[in-house]
Amino acid sequence: MAGKLTECSFLIPIHPDNVAEPVGHSLAHWEWLLDETWSRFGGGTAAPGLYSGFYADVDSGDRISDESRKFFVAIAPTELDKLRGLLMEACEVFQQKCIYLNVGGEVEFVYRIDLMN
Amino acid sequence: MIQPNTYVTLRGDVFALGDLDVAELEFVDDLKERAETHPDWNDFDNYWTSRIGSFYSARGMDRKEVPKTVVWKIAQDLSGRIGTAAGLVRMPDYRDELEFLIRREFKSRREFCEKTGIKEDMLSHVLARRKHLSIDTLMEALSRIGRTLRIVPLEVTPSQD
Repeated sequence: MAGKLTECSFLIPIHPDNVAEPVGHSLAHWEWLLDETWSRFGGGTAAPGLYSGFYADVDSGDRISDESRKFFVAIAPTELDKLRGLLMEACEVFQQKCIYLNVGGEVEFVYRIDLMN
Repeated sequence: MIQPNTYVTLRGDVFALGDLDVAELEFVDDLKERAETHPDWNDFDNYWTSRIGSFYSARGMDRKEVPKTVVWKIAQDLSGRIGTAAGLVRMPDYRDELEFLIRREFKSRREFCEKTGIKEDMLSHVLARRKHLSIDTLMEALSRIGRTLRIVPLEVTPSQD
């Protein structure tokens, strides 16, 4: 029997940070996320619809509004760093400074590798 | 000309459906029918990812092999069509292909630039969609790493019917 799993969720904004064209991510970006989530964790669930929110930009302090897709994965505690690793890559792929991650009710932000520390 | 009994993705990849077995064809038909009902994008992704897991695990296929199957790629494409029709996804262009080529096959953008002769700051602008490479520059850069451009059939998305 599998050990205890933790429900984790993360938000991927549908628009990149700081790009010239105000368009969504491409098909290739979303395919990457699904392929990687599947290969690394064996599945996941997408919450219906989009999540609207706003936050202060970490550099400028400007108010940023965005809409995000929300994904759930159930993982063993030992896989948490693997999930953080995926989201660090996702920061680059989806051109985000950081990604909101909820680990069993506790929230953290996973930063793009060049913005850590 | 697009051949019958094939599936052409939004990106112009062509899959021969004759290479699929009966169960896989039925699976693809089911996904196509479901996609035609304009479902919520996330609902559709949940549907096909949940079905495809049990479908291939029953055949003893390793989980990591599943995304390499034609059925997975067709499902991904149908998902992309739904996201595109909803205005949430854009069609990829050569800049996206470059981005994922670098991610898959090079240690870093710097290594890619060293091997192709593209300047790093130019690549940064291109990948951020602020600039384009000229066809000549792109062709020359790609030829240095054994790649080239190709012209593919353009599919019509459901929203343009």
